[in-house]
Amino acid sequence: MSDSAVTATQTANPNAINLKKVLGPVHVWALGVGIVLVGEFMGWNYSVAKGGAYGSLIACWVIGLLYTCVAMIDSEITSTVAAAGGQYAQAKHTTGPLMAFNVGIYLVMAYTMLEAADVLVFGDLVSIGAGELGREGVDPKPFVFLAVAVLAWLNYRGVFMALSVNFLITAVAFFSIIILWVGVQPFSPGEITQHAEMLAIVPLPELSSVQGLPYGWLGVLAAFQFGTWYYLGIEGTCQAAEEVRSAGRSLPLGTMSGMITLLIAASLTWWICAGMLPWDYLGQALAPLYDASKMTGSNFLVVLLWVATVFSAIASANGCINDASRAWFSMGRDRYLPQWFAAVHPRYRTPYRSILFLIPIAVAFGFTGLLAQTITFSIVSGLLGYTFMPINLTKFRRKWPLGSIKRGFVSPMHPIPAIVLMTLCVLTFFAVFLGFGTQLFVMIGFYIFISLYFVYRRYKYVRRGDQFTMAWPKPQGY
Amino acid sequence: MDFWDILQYGSWAVAALLLLWMVADAFMVSSQFTEDVLTSSQEGIDELAAQQQAHNAGKGS
Amino acid sequence: MAKSAYQPPRQSTLGQIIDSVVILGAVFLALWLPIAANLAGADTKQILPPGVTVAENADGSKTWTGLTWEGLGQNATMQAQWEKLGYSIEDAAGLITVWFDYEINWLLALVTAVVVIGYFAILLYYSEREYKEVIAEKFDR
Repeated sequence: MSDSAVTATQTANPNAINLKKVLGPVHVWALGVGIVLVGEFMGWNYSVAKGGAYGSLIACWVIGLLYTCVAMIDSEITSTVAAAGGQYAQAKHTTGPLMAFNVGIYLVMAYTMLEAADVLVFGDLVSIGAGELGREGVDPKPFVFLAVAVLAWLNYRGVFMALSVNFLITAVAFFSIIILWVGVQPFSPGEITQHAEMLAIVPLPELSSVQGLPYGWLGVLAAFQFGTWYYLGIEGTCQAAEEVRSAGRSLPLGTMSGMITLLIAASLTWWICAGMLPWDYLGQALAPLYDASKMTGSNFLVVLLWVATVFSAIASANGCINDASRAWFSMGRDRYLPQWFAAVHPRYRTPYRSILFLIPIAVAFGFTGLLAQTITFSIVSGLLGYTFMPINLTKFRRKWPLGSIKRGFVSPMHPIPAIVLMTLCVLTFFAVFLGFGTQLFVMIGFYIFISLYFVYRRYKYVRRGDQFTMAWPKPQGY
Repeated sequence: MDFWDILQYGSWAVAALLLLWMVADAFMVSSQFTEDVLTSSQEGIDELAAQQQAHNAGKGS
Repeated sequence: MAKSAYQPPRQSTLGQIIDSVVILGAVFLALWLPIAANLAGADTKQILPPGVTVAENADGSKTWTGLTWEGLGQNATMQAQWEKLGYSIEDAAGLITVWFDYEINWLLALVTAVVVIGYFAILLYYSEREYKEVIAEKFDR
């Protein structure tokens, strides 16, 4: 059986095994939201610590604009570069190998750190749940380890691929936010939620002169860092480019409806939490929606939100393992990384070595228990990827002007989204610098090191012309 | 040793077993197939991409 | 323009293992070590309200004096929510009196900006050089 499978792979013929284009906008929506929704259950609330509750809300909307630009730009290039590698394949075609290598590593690091954050929260939630049941001091580490091992094993076996469980548990998590919102009686303010009093933050005179903003407007800017967490990963919808039916319509539609879903979920989440939890508490909470449910006094809501937080974390981690290992595998196949990683399991058809290789990273960061720092690594990697997008679009338009190749979707109002995106990226880098400067520095240092490593050691193993796989005319100016 | 202790040790054990299984399986695969066969996939036409598509379809249904 | 395609060497198994270990090592040394050793946490400072003192005991616990909810900037509703969360005034004070340090060190900001911009410059410079080779081999052969 396994032998015939391998023969099939070997003799694969582009005409025979081309991907079926079956996905519509709904699937694109589900793919994006599944990975991202966990961002409403944990992590976003660190933006409250950086800028106060109002700062977090402003960051939520401004960063929503950043991601809208990302979605528009990404849709144009992805609907044209219909390759499964997503932004990595785009960078190979528009900018060059070193950039592509870096973009690939951004994807892997952003997803792996998100996965680590997911399992970290899962472990802590089990420990908290045990505490609720009267058993204090349960160590989260074995549960972190177990979550990574089980999810990696499912991905290794490819069993998970056939299941729609991921979609289902994402839907449960989304509806739990709405149920909680209804549960806190949104139409009778003052009953359970106390927005007027809870948001009356009196700032220290030496830090801020703006009522309600503990760090003034600088804090609002600083909050942009964790504002990204409301949406980080939505650009993963573009990984499905090759399988989307009429990509020019489905990708923008699916991605934008995903963005709208997240905006709604984010605003509801903010509203629920800001009205019940003191901002100093909210700014360091592990699972703010779960904490909010405990404040309602309803056991049903407490159990529901515990389950929903666990579900969203597991769904996200599962998607992250899939996406990160696939990006790692693609780079191995191009020999950007050792070719060893390009192996496909003959029985399960999974990038099994890449899955195995990324396990220790996720476990090690999950074990630290430092959620804000792990998330920051994910954010910086994501942010570097967004900074590349305006460059990407500019080069794409210059090398293949409109009309020279068929585009599935043309990003409107070029170059305004590119300029807005670049400006917001610069501001967000500054936001990370405020308070997390060391980590920003360390992470850029890491990328500089691996870039030099790529140029001077790895690139000699790469076949030059083979990297360009699109059937396009020669780019202009070369 | 209460229920939670057992659960913690059990988690360590199950996770370690799954890891061992994967590593052992990876070694077995390496000994049964040559590297050329294992790394024969090409961009755009590999089995993995087809399977990814199946997974995405499953996720959305 | 007939140029023969570049034939990359085949990497030995040992070479592949070394490369894998180097990448894994870079992740752990550059990213994991700084946060695990708490070198790269958030930059914070403690600001105590007037009349409040705190002393750390030998066992790591803290002794606060002069704490009031008003002094900590909490109104009656906030106080009620803290208590509902199960936080005593001392526990709450431990969170409330810690502030981010946004004092901008402009020299450090400049250095960081130069590093980030320099990083992108390196990326684009080498990418362009390699890209020309790719295009030449793909289209001119």
